[in-house]
Amino acid sequence: MKAFLPLWKRELQAFFLTSIGPVVAAFFLLITGTHFWLLASRLAQGPADGGLTAAFFGSPVYWLAMLVASPLLTMRLFAEEYRSGTMESLMTAPVSETEVVLAKYAGACAAFLLLWLPTLSYPFVLELCGARLPPLDWGAMAAGYLGTALIGASFLALGLLCSLFARHQVVAAIASLTLLGLLLALGSVELPARLDSVRHLAPVLSVPLHMADFRSGIVDSRAVTLHLSATVLLLFTSIRILEARRLR
Amino acid sequence: MADADWLIEVDQLTRRFPRCEALGGISFRVRRGEIAALLGPNGSGKTTTLRILSGFLAPSSGRVRVAGCDLQTHPLDARRRIGYLPESAPLPLDMRVAEYLAFRGRLRGLRGRHLTVRLREVADRCGLGDVWRRRLGSLSRGFRQRTGLADCLLHEPDVLLLDEPLAGLDPAQVQAMQEWLIEAGRQGAVLFSTHVLSEVEPLCQQALILNAGRLAAADSPERIARASARLRAELFAPADRLAAALEALPGASDIRLQPIADGWTDVGFHSGPEELSGSLEDLAADHHWPIRSVRRESRTFAEAYLRLTSALPIVKNPPQRQAS
Repeated sequence: MKAFLPLWKRELQAFFLTSIGPVVAAFFLLITGTHFWLLASRLAQGPADGGLTAAFFGSPVYWLAMLVASPLLTMRLFAEEYRSGTMESLMTAPVSETEVVLAKYAGACAAFLLLWLPTLSYPFVLELCGARLPPLDWGAMAAGYLGTALIGASFLALGLLCSLFARHQVVAAIASLTLLGLLLALGSVELPARLDSVRHLAPVLSVPLHMADFRSGIVDSRAVTLHLSATVLLLFTSIRILEARRLR
Repeated sequence: MADADWLIEVDQLTRRFPRCEALGGISFRVRRGEIAALLGPNGSGKTTTLRILSGFLAPSSGRVRVAGCDLQTHPLDARRRIGYLPESAPLPLDMRVAEYLAFRGRLRGLRGRHLTVRLREVADRCGLGDVWRRRLGSLSRGFRQRTGLADCLLHEPDVLLLDEPLAGLDPAQVQAMQEWLIEAGRQGAVLFSTHVLSEVEPLCQQALILNAGRLAAADSPERIARASARLRAELFAPADRLAAALEALPGASDIRLQPIADGWTDVGFHSGPEELSGSLEDLAADHHWPIRSVRRESRTFAEAYLRLTSALPIVKNPPQRQAS
């Protein structure tokens, strides 16, 4: 795995050096920061169920940030390599398919975590500004961030797979956005009775329901296992697809 | 390990795509110190061959060994010994020349002082000093090509595979590239694809001519030209009987007959690498056909290439007039 580190660094660097990276980071911080401030202002007027953490994680703005950030972070991973022709140089270097997929995925994960990192400072920044914050439940907050990391991990793995199939970044982003949108809708939309088997599965697969547990401070091992398994399965599929490309 | 002299060994290589067969069982070898050119019309399988040799594509069947490493069973070891420049040298345009080459060096396991030294050496050798800090997106085609070549050389590979390295370069750059190829060929084996036939004879010890996925010739350019020569003769013989006799002559192909005045027939045929003039004289003696002249029409390498890559049928001009 000698090539893992240079590939990982290259992915991280490419994300923040290209124009898309700073724009995504600015957009992400703007909407999450504004949302946190508005929530804090509202909750300072009076208590609400679950407090600030519950209102922040799993809110529509939170899902918007998750839904937009994952496709934007992963869309260029393979699609850009194929479009520019650099995939040929990459795959003829002494690197394995596993190294390439894992390094690119780790680069996207690192960028995702770097986007979320500043949100840890929001309560302290507001307090410094003299805001009266409702009391924070640190356990629920930690669980909320753990849930965000796990859900983000599976979202990014799905985005990477979409990027592998697309020949243009925008196509990869749209495909990833659509699939993630459908996944989020699974627990929120009432399915017709004839789709009975899917209806039974919906609560198990529903990502918003998983997040509802995390933001309440509950770390459900089923949700953890589901997201980790989905991530491993998607990455394994990506590796096999990349291997099969040599035979195509 | 195979014979260390053979750095590229290709045996019965085939490659099928869903809708076509790109390569139909080609075999060739390139030894250390040799520069070989891969020639052929568009779609003849040159890029597919290079992509398989570089490890980018897997063959459908057949065996490829690079510097003694089997590409199928030891792909990473084989790729460590290869420097590959894809067609039009695609590069990540957001990176700087120095950054890109350092990244490529690290991918190949170069680290620390060794990497620094190699970077300095390839920058000098490929003339990249002036653009070292420039972004790849801002470079001319020539400099991008040089950056691609510097990337190929970084890890001092035994085998260089270059897909049309001369395409799109100005005359000065072409000359620089030729000198560079000669120098690279001294240390290892170089296999490059090209459409520029005039570059092949002075540069290459071996020319591999592909046509529709088949290897039409694999030899030195001089021998290929010599093997493509035609034998011309004038015989006093009825053209139809002469045509039948020549068809039975082993090694003769592309037979053309033209009756000329007073019962004489001008005959021309491709004799291949064999010297068939003796056989023709024997044939004439057996049939009591007098021979007025026999001459060998030499061909240039370019003419030989055109003959090998255009499917010439055996043409027998119908006799205009029976010999008396």
